Amino acid sequence: MSIKSLLGRYGFLFIIAGFILFFASFNPVFLQGGNLMNIVAGSAILLIVALGMTLIVATGGIDLSVGIALDFGAAFAVVAMKEYGINWYGAALIGIGGGSIVGLLNAFLTVGLNISPFLATLGTFFIGSSVQRIFTNGGGPISYRGMPQEFRDLAVGEVYGIPTEIVIAGVICLIYFIVLERSIIGRRIHAIGMQRSAAIVAGLKVNKYLIWSFVAASMTVAVGGLIAAANIRMFTPLSGFSYLLDAIAAVFIGAALHPRGRPNVLGTLVAVLFLGIVTNGLNLMGLNFNVKGAMSGIILVSALALAVAQSKQR
Amino acid sequence: MSDAILVMKDITKTFPGVLALDKASLSVLPGEIHGLVGENGAGKSTIIKVLAGVYQAQGGSLSVNNTLISSVTPQAIHDAGVRFIHQELHLVPHFSVAESVFMGQELTGPFGLLRKQMRIRSEEFLRKTLDVKIDGNTLIRDLGTAERKLVQIARALIDNQARLVVFDEPTAPLASGEVGKLLAAIRRLKERGIAMIYVSHYLSEITNICDRVTVFRNGQTVAVFNEIKKDSAGALIEAMVGREIKNLYPKNSHSPSSPAIQAKNLGDGKSFHDVSFTLHSGEVVGIAGLIGSGRAELIDTLYGLRQATSGEIWLNNKTIQLSSPADAVTRGMVLVPRDRRHDGLVLGMSVSENVNLGSLKDVSKMGIEMRAMALARAAKQIKDLDIRPPNPSMIARLLSGGNQQKTVLGRWLTTNAKVFLLDEPTVGVDVGAKVEIYQLVETLAQNGAGVLLSSSDPGELIGLCDRILVMMRGRITHEIDTDGLSIDRLVAMTTGATGSSVTRNKSVGAANE
Amino acid sequence: MSKAKNFLTLSRIIDAAPLVIFLGMLIYIGFNAPNFMKFSTMQLVLNQSVPVVVVCLGLSIVVMAGGDGVLSGGIDLSIPATAVLSAGIIAQQLAQADAPLWLAIVLAFAAAAIVGLINGLMVTRIGMTPLLTSLATFVAVVGVSKLVTSSRRINVDDPFIVFLRDGNIFGISAGVFITLILVLMFYFLIHRTKWGINMQAVGGSRDAAEMSGINPSYYQMWAFVLAALTGFLASFFILARGSGSSPGTEDNLMLEMVLATFLGAAFSPRRVVTLWGAVLGAVLVAALSIGFKTMGVNVFWTGLIKGSLILVVVALGALSVKVKA
Repeated sequence: MSIKSLLGRYGFLFIIAGFILFFASFNPVFLQGGNLMNIVAGSAILLIVALGMTLIVATGGIDLSVGIALDFGAAFAVVAMKEYGINWYGAALIGIGGGSIVGLLNAFLTVGLNISPFLATLGTFFIGSSVQRIFTNGGGPISYRGMPQEFRDLAVGEVYGIPTEIVIAGVICLIYFIVLERSIIGRRIHAIGMQRSAAIVAGLKVNKYLIWSFVAASMTVAVGGLIAAANIRMFTPLSGFSYLLDAIAAVFIGAALHPRGRPNVLGTLVAVLFLGIVTNGLNLMGLNFNVKGAMSGIILVSALALAVAQSKQR
Repeated sequence: MSDAILVMKDITKTFPGVLALDKASLSVLPGEIHGLVGENGAGKSTIIKVLAGVYQAQGGSLSVNNTLISSVTPQAIHDAGVRFIHQELHLVPHFSVAESVFMGQELTGPFGLLRKQMRIRSEEFLRKTLDVKIDGNTLIRDLGTAERKLVQIARALIDNQARLVVFDEPTAPLASGEVGKLLAAIRRLKERGIAMIYVSHYLSEITNICDRVTVFRNGQTVAVFNEIKKDSAGALIEAMVGREIKNLYPKNSHSPSSPAIQAKNLGDGKSFHDVSFTLHSGEVVGIAGLIGSGRAELIDTLYGLRQATSGEIWLNNKTIQLSSPADAVTRGMVLVPRDRRHDGLVLGMSVSENVNLGSLKDVSKMGIEMRAMALARAAKQIKDLDIRPPNPSMIARLLSGGNQQKTVLGRWLTTNAKVFLLDEPTVGVDVGAKVEIYQLVETLAQNGAGVLLSSSDPGELIGLCDRILVMMRGRITHEIDTDGLSIDRLVAMTTGATGSSVTRNKSVGAANE
Repeated sequence: MSKAKNFLTLSRIIDAAPLVIFLGMLIYIGFNAPNFMKFSTMQLVLNQSVPVVVVCLGLSIVVMAGGDGVLSGGIDLSIPATAVLSAGIIAQQLAQADAPLWLAIVLAFAAAAIVGLINGLMVTRIGMTPLLTSLATFVAVVGVSKLVTSSRRINVDDPFIVFLRDGNIFGISAGVFITLILVLMFYFLIHRTKWGINMQAVGGSRDAAEMSGINPSYYQMWAFVLAALTGFLASFFILARGSGSSPGTEDNLMLEMVLATFLGAAFSPRRVVTLWGAVLGAVLVAALSIGFKTMGVNVFWTGLIKGSLILVVVALGALSVKVKA
């Protein structure tokens, strides 16, 4: 196997290894077990959001409103507990239900009204952001210090010594892998995303899959919102937006890693961990906040370009 | 033949693992229309691309007008006066005719584009050289396919430098009525002394307009016909295939039983009206008609891709409502669409994935796909239908037209479909694969399936079908038995050259001959 | 036959609906907020819309050169980030580094050109989709501009910038006048030159352009560079409007740019992105924002209204395609 084809296939993994070595040489703490666990835990919410995005991109669309689903998940759960005294799992279910509103709206706009996913979810984003501002009178957080410990444990608890958020993200990741990569549902979704018209003629119930994909994705992302709310014991309006670009980048880096360029769960997982490593490594280097922002932006662009360039090599 | 305008000699071209051209030759005389025929993969398009400078040949020589061209680049070939009319239309839908004709060669003055002059010159060229009147401000998307083709030709010839024009399958997207318009324009070009290479699968066109014909097979020049007559088609086929094909069409012996699908006064309010017919199990029924006759829309409506506004569709003696193709498929009615690259196959997926797409439940347990089962099923279809290369993991995009079509058919053969709607199943398919598809249609009917075949090839309709429905302007104008039906008469009926009275009696067709 | 006629008129009504809805809303505002119809308010609307108009020129060019499929066609979301970076560089140079105006301008121009080149190279050389490319550069450029300004607001009182805000040329405010000139220049470039029509050909059908000897990559590359330069140009108006640079301007500008440009496509009879459509879209969106403000509508509602608006207009576009089919 020539060096070129070796780089073509595993080039991105070499890049990740290079970053790990680089960060480790700056600060030995980077490689310690506790820190590695931090990286994974810190990536949990992004992974959940990126998985929802993977599903939508696999259907051939894009979702600019994932942040809204995340905010709604957090808001509905916090309000349910704080204002209505609902117990923790009831609140979690209500949060997930709140997130599904976003998916339902997207499904209605794209499938019902035939609007392109980019513009439809952009509209949802505008509306969802505005609703949050109206509801919170301009964007003030809704804090709930007295949140039940069980709910709080979604973010800070442990299951057999593993942080709960990792367990939740891991389970969702496994479900997504089975459904999207191993089941006939996933096979159909990929067919719809790659060539909608051919999927219709093949007799697939395209609209049904599109609607359910939007709803399922928004419910998934809302789980990320629950963890975020549990973590800081409050709902911060419009905070979901910050995950959008990272999630999109993760999905497309992941797709570039796939031999046929399809969006896929494992690729997304690798890309999210890569982004987590970069964030964590830059933090440990003790850089100025602004320098860190600029560097992680530049690394994101370079990583995407490299991943795509590498996939074209094949 | 030193007076030839183009001489390509001993051209050799290899791709990794494939010898695409093996010392192939092609020579064209001034002012002639030179046909180039061969099956898919015979090397026609490869030698055209070598001529265009897109592919670099490994051996051989190329001279235009007795001048040897040592480095064959697109620019050098263009400068030598060779122009290409590609199969695809390659026009911008929202550009005007004038903008399209002058695309890449715009006329400019000190104050920018000379829009008026470009419009006048393009209108003049279309009128004088091609004998059509088209307003230079019309948008491309408002033109018919034949007119678009003429615009494409005008673009290649507007600079008056062309000495040799290469037409690659120019009539492929056209309806039979429009073909005449294009052929007339080509004849006018010949009168102006321009030499032409005419590449086509349609042998009737080749025998109709070509002066000489070169036949390719397996990358080699196997025959050059210096004289072409109306009845040369048989000899051409023999040279192309390398064996004599006595019967393109299988012997049909059908025994129609109960009605499979019935249309009762079906209409969509726009493209077709008041359509009634019955297709029985074990029967092949054809639909003939020009583009715009409502044929395509009728097929789409029967499959649930479009919605009817009046009338009923009956399947197996029960009236049904189809809101989408999924409803049709679950009821055992399937479609092989006319645009297989767009609607038939998921081009980025493998042969196996495409074959199993319509029946994924059968290769799964508890919703999880069993890959070994899926591959085995694909392998069976590949073997039964002789899909080449025999590799279930091959990406569908990379298959030839015939093999793509067989993959679409293979998908439906794995289901228990009882009614097959075939829409232009052999467009862009080479002769060998055509014969195989015809045999398959026959086998389907013998096994009791009902086949509705919509086609613009009259020979195919008469050869395969028991009956033919002729559509014109959205209505069925004739329903005719194929026994003793001649091609001429069928063409006359589709173009409305016979009376418009509805012939319902099955034996009328035979009696009139 | 009468049915066909009905369809025609129905599709015509739907075609005109986006513009009618907009004008209707403006008239409604005019009746309910008497101040709105004043000349000064109109001036304010135009002044407000200037930065959006300029970046819309850039986005229209990229869409025209890349085709109007949002996912696979041409789009450049990074223009507003480039504008904010450029504004940041100018402000930082003038206010903190005491550099002369020309040096600040040269540096900002260079930065914008680099962003455009990076976008263009990633799209034409590496083959990334423009949406993905420009989302990524958006993030990176915002990061860099925060580094330049240390995420702080920087005031600018340079006379040139002040002139753009307060000055007048032939009785029209300077910013509006200069923008008008810019629009005309871009119009000439796109619709009146061989270069422009070839660039449109690339977006209309890449294959057709290639067959006609037009090099698509060359035009796509230039489209991204030009787009980044509109970001550079817009930065002056951003500085003038805000009397300096402030972080976080880019998010809102990006959303307004996309809203205005695609609204513009809904206004155009061919339903494609055009220069005039984008300009009209930008002005109307600004008119609505200010109109609602003068009516005393809670500012939190504007996002909801804008979001619903784009959805209604785009849905009408989809409907009109359906009716015509």
